[in-house]
Amino acid sequence: MSEMRLRVHDADPERVERIRARCVAVLERRRRAVGSQGSRAAAPRGWLEPAIAVGLCLLYLAEAVTRALAAYR
Amino acid sequence: MFVEREIELRLVARLKAGDTAAFEAIYEAFRPRLFSFLARLSRRRDVAEDLLEETWLRLVTKAGDLTDDTRLGPWLFTVARNLFASWCRHRAVDEGRIFAFALSWPGALPRESPFESAARGETERRLESALARLPPRDREVLLLVAGEELSPAEAAAVLGLAPEAVRKRLQRARERLGREMHEEQDLLREEAG
Repeated sequence: MSEMRLRVHDADPERVERIRARCVAVLERRRRAVGSQGSRAAAPRGWLEPAIAVGLCLLYLAEAVTRALAAYR
Repeated sequence: MFVEREIELRLVARLKAGDTAAFEAIYEAFRPRLFSFLARLSRRRDVAEDLLEETWLRLVTKAGDLTDDTRLGPWLFTVARNLFASWCRHRAVDEGRIFAFALSWPGALPRESPFESAARGETERRLESALARLPPRDREVLLLVAGEELSPAEAAAVLGLAPEAVRKRLQRARERLGREMHEEQDLLREEAG
């Protein structure tokens, strides 16, 4: 069989284009998703904002407790 | 086999990064052979096109998981072959039985596959016809090793067999193919005489 080469055929041109478009769309979607995840992780806002909020809450609670204790004394 | 190894490694790296141009290059290099392989296995153009689409979608959805040294040819043929096997199971099709049934039904011989009818020369037509009559197991090993020029080790990986088992199966398939071609030639001679 190796001496007698089999001919190579191809799918219908429209189907070929449809498959190409679907695959390119999948790759682009994945690349966008990976890109947005990367930029979120790289930005300081990703972890800084919740940290500041938690810190302020803790300060407020500490101050409230201190004042309450002072009022009882 | 299809692309030089260095180029292939670069294409894999770029595909993993989501490079669409790398995908286009791989698609152009492998698509026709993959389609021919699926069409000769299934003997149906519509099925081959569906499985072809699914194979490429698997590649792009799993691109991020590919190892750096992935060999694209064996990877694609493994996926295509497994999808074909899954399609057969899904339809509960035993191609061998269907073919035997069709042969026993007067006037209900399976139509020529698009490859048989498109075959230009008499030898090529006989080869396509003999190949189509082989059991799928023999056909797939011949298509991979003799048709796609995969090494026995690569074909073994695609088929999930040991290389030695592939060599044995290949030898048996070659013998069957030879017998089929001779039988058809004898029939033609009888008809002509």
